Amino acid sequence: MNWRPVARHEAGVLRSTRSFRYLLGALVATVLLSAYVYPVIGTPPYSTARFTGFLAGSLTGLLAFVGVLVGYGAVAGDRESGALRLSLSLPRSRLDVAVGTFLGRAGVLAGVLVAAMAGAGVLVVYPYGQLVVGPFLAFVGVAILYGSLWTGIGLAVSMAVATKRRALIVAFGLVLLLAVAWEPAVGLLEYGLTRAGLSTDGLPRTLKMLIGLVPGAAFERVVTSLLDPGAPPSGPSALGGVTSLGVLALWTIGPLGAGYWRFARSDLA
Amino acid sequence: MPAIDATDISKRYGTVTALDRVDLTVEAGEAFGFLGPNGAGKSTFINILLDFVTPSAGSVSIFGHDCQNDGVAARDRIGVLPEGYAPYERLTGRQHVEHAIRAKDADADPIAVLDRVGIRDAADRTASDYSTGMTQRLVLAMALVGQPDLLILDEPTAGLDPNGAARMREILQTELDRGATVFFSSHILEQVEAVCDRVGILQNGELVAVDTIDGFRDTLGGGTKLRITPETLHEDTVATVRRVAGVETAVATSEDRLEVTCTNDAKMDVLVALQDAGVDVVDFRTEESSLEDMFVEYTSGGHA
Repeated sequence: MNWRPVARHEAGVLRSTRSFRYLLGALVATVLLSAYVYPVIGTPPYSTARFTGFLAGSLTGLLAFVGVLVGYGAVAGDRESGALRLSLSLPRSRLDVAVGTFLGRAGVLAGVLVAAMAGAGVLVVYPYGQLVVGPFLAFVGVAILYGSLWTGIGLAVSMAVATKRRALIVAFGLVLLLAVAWEPAVGLLEYGLTRAGLSTDGLPRTLKMLIGLVPGAAFERVVTSLLDPGAPPSGPSALGGVTSLGVLALWTIGPLGAGYWRFARSDLA
Repeated sequence: MPAIDATDISKRYGTVTALDRVDLTVEAGEAFGFLGPNGAGKSTFINILLDFVTPSAGSVSIFGHDCQNDGVAARDRIGVLPEGYAPYERLTGRQHVEHAIRAKDADADPIAVLDRVGIRDAADRTASDYSTGMTQRLVLAMALVGQPDLLILDEPTAGLDPNGAARMREILQTELDRGATVFFSSHILEQVEAVCDRVGILQNGELVAVDTIDGFRDTLGGGTKLRITPETLHEDTVATVRRVAGVETAVATSEDRLEVTCTNDAKMDVLVALQDAGVDVVDFRTEESSLEDMFVEYTSGGHA
C-alpha cells in the first residue's frame, strides 16, 4: 500500500482551498455557537454528556452537507482535469488513491471536529456545566464516524462517475434523499396510510426499522441510546444504539466499496 | 528480461478496434520510438501499459510484472510522461517533485531535478500557472525522480520550444547512457529519429512494422533520394531513368527538376544512363530517406 502520499496531498488540498476553509469554518462556528447557547436554551443539569443530544440535532444535517462537499469532487475532479492520470502513473494503485483520498479528507474533517468539540467542551463546562468525559469523547468519535460516512458517500460517487458535475448532482441527490426529504416523506407515507384506512397505528414495525436505517436516524439513535442521559427512551420499534453504530459503520464501508469497485474497473481514457 | 513485453494486445471500444493483436518486445537499455498518425492507437497502448485501460485481449508486462495484475510493481521502476494529464491545481513545481519523491520512496533533491529540466526559477510558482512547455518539463522532472529503469514518454515534446526539445533529447541521451530504457511515442518524426534506435509504426491499431531506422532504409530501397537538375528535361528523360535497375520512382517535380528514389548502388547508374541518353546534368544532390519518408511509405499503405 502506498496511500500515505495521497492522503497527505488530499489533506493539503483541503487545507489550502479557501472554499473548504469557509465550509469547515462554518462547521466549527455551528458547534461553538451550539455550545454557547446550550446553557441558555437547554434544560439543566448542564453537562458535556447531555450536550451531545443537544448538538446531535444540528450536526445531523450539517455534517451530511459538509461531509459530502468534502468528498464529492476528489476523484472526479482529478479525473476530469487529468491530474488522476499523473497520480496513477506513479507507483500506486487505485486502491491507494481511494484509501488515501478518504483518509486524507476524512482526517481533516475529523481534526476540525475534534478542535471544534474541544472548544465546545470548554464553553459547556465553563462556568456552571459539568464535565462528563466518557460520553463526550464517545460523541466526538461517533460524530467523526458520521462525518466520515458522508465524506465516504461523496467520495464513492466521485469514484463512480466521470465528471465533477455528475458527482455533484448524484451526491447532493443522495443528501437530499437521505438527510432532507426522508423524514417528511415518511411522515407523508404515514399520513397517507392512515387516511386510506390501511393503518391505524402508524407504520408497521418492520417498515419503521427499515426507514430508521438512514444515516441521520442511526446517528441520532446512537446518541440518544448510548450517550445522552437526558434523552427520552427509544420506542420499541427502533433499533438499539449498538446496532445503529453498526449501521453507521456499514454506511461508511458499503458506498465506499461500491464506488471503488466501479472505479477499479473503469477505463481512464 | 525485456523492458516491455506485449503479447497479442487488443482493445475494442464497442465496434471500434483501437488496438489489434499487437505483439511488441522492447529490450532493456534500448531507445524505442513508437510512431503513428493521430488515432493510430499509440496512447491506447501506453494507457494499457499504465493500467489506465484494460485490454480486451492479450497481456503486457514491464520487467516481468503484468501491467494489469501487478500494476504497482510494473510502475515501480518507471518514469512516465503520460498523455492528457494535468498538474495538481494548487501545488508548486517543487511540491510536485516532492510528491513524486514520496510516492517513489526516492532520495532526490527537488531543486536539482527541476534545474535539470530547466525550470528551477519557477520552482515555487503554482504549476497550474505554468505554460504547456513548462508543465511538460515539470512532469518530465517527476518522471526522472528515482532514476527509473524505463521512461515512458507519450508525445513528450508537445508544447516544447526548440530549446526545450533539445534539452529533452540531451536528458534522454543521458538516461540512455545510464542504462535506462526509453519508450518514446510521438508523431514528430525528427524527434524520434534523433533519440531512438528502433522504431515501431502503428496504424489503425495494428503494428505494421518494427525495425531499426537503418533497417527501414534497407527495406525501402536503400533510402536514397536523388535531386537532379538536367540542362533540359525531355519527356523521355524520366522514362530513361525509370528503366535503370534499382530505381523505384522517378518524378519530374518541375520543368527542370527530377526526383529519383533508388537503391544506394543505383545512384551512379542513373547518372550514367542520363549521360548515355545525351542529357547533360547541371546539378545533382543526394539525400538519405528521412524517417518521414519511410513513415509515409508505410502508413500510405505501400507496405502495410
